[in-house]
Amino acid sequence: MIRLSDIVGASGLAGYAIVALILFVFAFLLVLVNVYAPSRRAQHERAATLPFDEGVVATTPKSGLAPEGHNR
Amino acid sequence: METRLDSFSYDDAIVRKFLWATVIWGLVGFLVGLIIAIQLAWPAANIAPWFAFGRLRPLHTNAVIFAFGGNAIFTGIYYSTQRLLKARMFSDALSSFHFWGWQAIIAAAAITLPLGFTQAKEYAELEWPIDIAIAVVWVAFAVNFFGTLARRRERHLYVAIWFYIASIVTVAILHIFNNLSVPAGALKSYSFYAGVQDAFMQWWYGHNAVAFFLTTPFLGLMYYFMPKAADRPVFSYKLSILHFWTLVFLYIWAGPHHLHYTALPEWASTLGMLFSVMLIAPSWGGMINGLLTLRGAWHKVAVDPVLKFFVLAITAYGMSTFEGPMLSIKSVNALAHYTDWIIAHVHTGALGWNGLLTFGMIYWLAPRLFQTPLHSKKLAEVHFWLATFGILLYVVAIYSAGITQGLMWRAFDETGRLQYPDFVETTLRLIPMYWVRVVGGTLYIVGTLVFIYNLVRTWMARPKRYDVPVVQAAPLSVQPAAHGAPNPQPAGAFARLIGMGWHRKYEGLPFAFTVLTVLAVVVASLFEIIPTFLIRSNVPTIASVKPYTPLELAGRDLYIREGCFNCHSQMIRPFRHETERYGEYSKPGESVYDHPFLWGSRRIGPDLARQSGKYPPLWHVQHMADPRAISPNSIMPAYPHLQRNTLDFDGIQSRVDAMVMLGVPYGDAVTRAPAMAREQAQQLSTAIETAGGPTGLADKEIVALVAYLERLGKDIKLAPPGVASAAKAGVTP
Repeated sequence: MIRLSDIVGASGLAGYAIVALILFVFAFLLVLVNVYAPSRRAQHERAATLPFDEGVVATTPKSGLAPEGHNR
Repeated sequence: METRLDSFSYDDAIVRKFLWATVIWGLVGFLVGLIIAIQLAWPAANIAPWFAFGRLRPLHTNAVIFAFGGNAIFTGIYYSTQRLLKARMFSDALSSFHFWGWQAIIAAAAITLPLGFTQAKEYAELEWPIDIAIAVVWVAFAVNFFGTLARRRERHLYVAIWFYIASIVTVAILHIFNNLSVPAGALKSYSFYAGVQDAFMQWWYGHNAVAFFLTTPFLGLMYYFMPKAADRPVFSYKLSILHFWTLVFLYIWAGPHHLHYTALPEWASTLGMLFSVMLIAPSWGGMINGLLTLRGAWHKVAVDPVLKFFVLAITAYGMSTFEGPMLSIKSVNALAHYTDWIIAHVHTGALGWNGLLTFGMIYWLAPRLFQTPLHSKKLAEVHFWLATFGILLYVVAIYSAGITQGLMWRAFDETGRLQYPDFVETTLRLIPMYWVRVVGGTLYIVGTLVFIYNLVRTWMARPKRYDVPVVQAAPLSVQPAAHGAPNPQPAGAFARLIGMGWHRKYEGLPFAFTVLTVLAVVVASLFEIIPTFLIRSNVPTIASVKPYTPLELAGRDLYIREGCFNCHSQMIRPFRHETERYGEYSKPGESVYDHPFLWGSRRIGPDLARQSGKYPPLWHVQHMADPRAISPNSIMPAYPHLQRNTLDFDGIQSRVDAMVMLGVPYGDAVTRAPAMAREQAQQLSTAIETAGGPTGLADKEIVALVAYLERLGKDIKLAPPGVASAAKAGVTP
């Protein structure tokens, strides 16, 4: 009986990993080009500030901690 | 028109719980590390079977990675995710289930590992019921996380969230596929895979556990907490996007570098090396991005302990991720593999990157979570310097130990013989360095105690009731489709490709983004896994290699229970210095019945792959009872209990049955495994008595272990010349 491993073994997949490498490099280049497109600049600048936007605090904590920075 | 705002609050109670769990389990994990460091330098510290190096070492690694590291990740993720998405966690009940479930898993690990219940796969030692529990708790965490994403009030997913998504989905995939096994008892199972395939799966998992448990989630924490602590945005958001995708694309391929020069097919090993070397680019991109976030604010580092911890953590990340690719290069790996060099590398990452980043994060969080200023900044500074010097002492000593041992193993004298033929000589040389490690580890722990004191004092000053601020944000339904000004449609196909904002779009679509991440991980994995599993010539069979007898199988299980694989490899590499010391190099066909594989990753003791016939059975009996009576400078723990414990012969049948389910051809043993084991045990016991050894061992555990050790490498010596040469040439006979 022919086994799956025989079929895969005979199918000549020596270049299999190279194909994957090329695909991944291509995907990376696509990301690279897109990320560094000049039109993205304003969006990236806004995205970078997201950690500082926690929503509007409607009630103030009693401890009086500043929203950012350190206590001592 | 006035925009409608949702009012909600963040769940910080769950963050506080994970924070305390991080601190408590961290101390436990570090203390167990100190204990096993002492045991290596002073073997008398192995005072009981459950308190011996072989059983405690996995407890240390699991405690540090999954208890300390895991809880640290959850602390940071639960805090930052809510704020980055402007949403409370999806379900408080799931948060609570996640917390208590995870702690229960850790407690189960702390009980079962010292008792010897282990799958013998590094960082995946926990037995099958605990593995199922991990999967359930992880799914609860994932549902809670993705539910929060679905209910978010911020359209764009900040880069930290991407790293969390990649971690959550990839850890699930890795955990499930590496832990596939057939149960052979309530707390005993055999890996679904054998030999080469098992080794491949294990290190696909093992390396990516480092990647997706100790790297990507911590990078997410870095991208959130570093800007917060420095009070300025990340240096380059563009770089963070590239960092993310390159890391996800490349990391998943790198596992085979843990198996250079073993019986793994050479193509897989080379592929692992190439991707590992490429990994330096995203890793250093991330490091640079983290450090340059401090541009214009370096003066703050001098006065802020949080930033000090972060800077050193990111520097340690840079050092580890330079060293990792270097160690993956075959010629470097040839020296470093099996030595303490790898241990030093791992600890630069764990103590430096994971530890210091966690401490920095907690120092930043504590005043916010306990709503009171930190008790003492000075003590935080003291902690920083204790940890820094602790790490330095640790790694300098252990790098020296690793390189020393690696060079001694391969040294030949002027007559062409091994210069240090007695393995113990090479271990003995390391003992002073092991003591320096003990000092370094102690400093790190003293620093941790200072940290805990500071934290407890801060907690004691908390208000009677925590304020729970009400936060307001607009729901997604009333927000514009994308932030920022609309982009004019560019002209030309190429311009449209780069300008159409497809990546931007996916950044805001959690489901599509998750699918892309899973694709990157799964496709890369399959490119390596499919050939390894399905091309038969990758694992040439050897006709003389037969399954273990029932008694040997029981002995193998004892070898696993005592954690012998933590110190002894069973994989001889094709180097002259290895074949001179141990014998013929290991072939892939030798371990086709090894569920799990036991090739090991460290040689604190010598390789055992060719143990058969090296010593008489009585030697093993005496050596196991008191190693130093046979080899005066040995650092091996004693196992006198093996001569006292009665072997569970009746339990052997279920183990053979499980092996049969995995396809191991057991013949007669399918019906009469216990009887066969008793017969072999009686013969071996008689041989030991005849040689002048102790009597009455026929029903004791030691005979099973000796039977197993006597089998190691026996089959390959029986191979007829034609078969042996075919196996040597790497073709199926």
